[in-house]
Amino acid sequence: MSTTVTAPPVDPDAIAAEVAQSRAGKWARLAIQQGLVVAVVVGWAVWRNGADFKAESVEGRSLAWGQILQLTGQHILLSVVTTVIVLVLAIPLGIVLTRRHTRRLAPLVVGVANIGQAAPAIGLIVLSALLFNIGFWPAVGAVSLYGLLPSLRNTIVGLEQVDQRLVEAGRGMGMSAPAVLFRVELPLAVPVIVAGARLALVLVVGTMALAGFVGAGGLGLLITTGIKLSRISVLISGALLVAALALIIDWIGRVVEEFARPKGI
Amino acid sequence: MDFWQFMAQNQSKLTFLSWQHVWMVAQCVFVATIIAVFVAIVVYKSPAGASIANALSAIGLTIPSFALLGLLIAPLGLGVGPSVVAIGFYATLPIVRNAIVGLAGVDRNLIESAKGMGMGRLRTLVRVELPVAWPVILAGIRVATQLVMGIAAIAAFVGGPGLGGLIFEGLSQLGGVNAVNKALSGTILVVLLALVLDLVLMFVGRLTIPRGIRV
Amino acid sequence: MSETTAAPATADQHSSSGASITLTDVTKRYPGQRNPAVDAFNAEIAAGEIVMLVGPSGCGKTTTLKMINRLIEPTGGSIVIGGEDVTRINADQLRRRIGYVIQAGGLFPHMTVAANIGLVPGMLRWDKKRISARVDELLELVSLDAGQYRNRYPRELSGGQQQRVGVARALAADPPVLLMDEPFGAVDPITRQRLQDELLRIHEEVPKTIVFVTHDFDEAVKLGNRIAILKEGAHIAQFDSPDTILANPADEFVEDFVGHGSTLKQLTLTRVDEVELEPATTVTIGEDARDAAARAKTDGNTEVLVLDERRRPVRWEEVKDLERDGGSVPRGQGQVDVIGRRATLNDALDTMLTSSQGCAVVTGRGDEFLGLVSVESVMHAIQSARDTAREQNLGITGRTTMQADA
Repeated sequence: MSTTVTAPPVDPDAIAAEVAQSRAGKWARLAIQQGLVVAVVVGWAVWRNGADFKAESVEGRSLAWGQILQLTGQHILLSVVTTVIVLVLAIPLGIVLTRRHTRRLAPLVVGVANIGQAAPAIGLIVLSALLFNIGFWPAVGAVSLYGLLPSLRNTIVGLEQVDQRLVEAGRGMGMSAPAVLFRVELPLAVPVIVAGARLALVLVVGTMALAGFVGAGGLGLLITTGIKLSRISVLISGALLVAALALIIDWIGRVVEEFARPKGI
Repeated sequence: MDFWQFMAQNQSKLTFLSWQHVWMVAQCVFVATIIAVFVAIVVYKSPAGASIANALSAIGLTIPSFALLGLLIAPLGLGVGPSVVAIGFYATLPIVRNAIVGLAGVDRNLIESAKGMGMGRLRTLVRVELPVAWPVILAGIRVATQLVMGIAAIAAFVGGPGLGGLIFEGLSQLGGVNAVNKALSGTILVVLLALVLDLVLMFVGRLTIPRGIRV
Repeated sequence: MSETTAAPATADQHSSSGASITLTDVTKRYPGQRNPAVDAFNAEIAAGEIVMLVGPSGCGKTTTLKMINRLIEPTGGSIVIGGEDVTRINADQLRRRIGYVIQAGGLFPHMTVAANIGLVPGMLRWDKKRISARVDELLELVSLDAGQYRNRYPRELSGGQQQRVGVARALAADPPVLLMDEPFGAVDPITRQRLQDELLRIHEEVPKTIVFVTHDFDEAVKLGNRIAILKEGAHIAQFDSPDTILANPADEFVEDFVGHGSTLKQLTLTRVDEVELEPATTVTIGEDARDAAARAKTDGNTEVLVLDERRRPVRWEEVKDLERDGGSVPRGQGQVDVIGRRATLNDALDTMLTSSQGCAVVTGRGDEFLGLVSVESVMHAIQSARDTAREQNLGITGRTTMQADA
């Protein structure tokens, strides 16, 4: 689920107004989001605590605290491993694709990334399971592939956004190409790259809800179990917890972004 | 069985599922566009309203589609209902955001000109603001369409129509002869159809965006 | 060079001329601000008059203008246009009867030139044929070729052309009143001068009542029948004809605003059509070059002005080149900077200084060639302006006399 808005041909004043407005609304937005998450998680926990399921029933087994914690742990582990793989591939590749000699390839990659965005995640995951096996690594592999393209595009766009005059200024004062990269381009692109990492992580957490289909566990398993066995309480619990996890991860990412932003930008 | 053979033998079924998939997405995006533009018109003038709409749109996009589909089963049951609502929901979000950006970005001079020549509020909106914002709104529609093509595939698990069914059939026949072929054909067709829809929307853009504001 | 008839060559059955505007105690007070933005503004504007509102930024001139078509609703006072009190009628209906021109024309980028101009007639439910004829007529009026421009989009036009279309659009439904809010602020000086000439020419053809806001005093002197110089709160410092303001500034504020060098300012009071235009040797494209060269020699000229089939100046050609090339005169390349009949001598002088011919080419409607203004005629006009100024100043104060002599 990439949330890119294609650059609109609006006049600069409007953009400035939008930025000012989003700064004012940013914290309000974070508060709304956090309120939502806390309400959902606390509400669910209270309900779960009060509910009395037989230990042998589907609900009792699926919604045992130990099981919930295990599935959450699985989900986070799957997501973190996948995101690390995505970023380790996407950021260096993005840097390479914005160097002078390879720059011409960047539009091609961005174009392919845009097409790949339409690839159904469920298709990739199922194919991976069919071709390689069910379990942890096939799920990680499929979702890495799914998350790679948007992250690569974000990195390329972030680096390309760096004002070329600043790059020239750096070269002009005698910095070498790597020095310009590490001391000018990357620091200036940090906000976009960090935002890209957050988007990748959120995308991966959401997509990993499908990992339950291929035996890799995660909170999505509650949803599939709930649907297959017609246990609405299990289904709803899974859906709420997956949504809450994605929103928490996104929230943490946004807060980190606010503080990690280089001073002066 | 070889993949191409499989495709050839199941041509009519694949065509039918493709049509179902595309038709559902197209209808949902159409309705989503109307809802999104309406929401944008209501909020774009007020900075607070626009901020809230943007925040809700971003939060909505953060909710995993599989989770939302699950939540929708409780009130709507299995089948077309939750699929259509979820697809419509995810399609609305990017369009709302682009519509707000587009409408807020209309040069104030144009609005003043329109007022100055005696256009009322509604006429200014219909004849000046919406046409000028249309390229940005259409860009949102394209993003939304790409997004929901994939979500529609997941919706098959809750009984929705379309190509997702093939993928899940493949999964349930793990190890069977045609399992890979089914999943592969479903996946590839979704990508191809998304590409086709994108081209169609690009063409719609050529037809509906006057030369004066084409990028 | 005065035309014998002032009858407009418009195809529309009747072209309404201006309506008078009476502003009585018009006030705009914004909530939360101590002083009103416009404080009891009074003005009596005659039908067909061009009134310029000038003043420093923030003086309330634009607010005053926008209250006339109620883009800004007045909080007090009355506005009467053509005998009708318009403060209570439907604002949208009112605005369809008042032309409004803003900077860069405010053209709608998604509509063609024709669609932009046809908007207000469309809202007034004219039929398609009539609108189309009106569009062509208006494009002609603002010196744009209808066939060439009606289907273009605004971004395919230069800044000056956009501004012309903006004026055409404002005139579309033949409103008796035209409001112009710093319309020529965003174009380069040469284009601005041409647009000003054009506006004066259009005003001669269709004598609308024009209220025009500018911060450029020279523009005000050139265009206005009367100028209102405004201080903060739109208080009128002086409201009079340009020559009176130049000769007798009411107070120090006006004097400061008008600036010094008022003798030179007199040059902006004299129009090109008030001095005698001189003829040029001309040749139309396709005519025989050597004939033209021979005529030039008889006239004692070394250069010939090449005109196109509609008598629009194309370029200058030297006699010796014509003799050498012979044959019929080709279209060729080149450009002639021209001025309108209502341009000021100041404009003429500017144009001369940038041309190598030492004279300025004057054109009329549709850019048709009328004659030349030479340096001599400008010098002569300066001389008589100086004399007049001296006489006037002797009668007023010694201080300005010193200036005129300096």
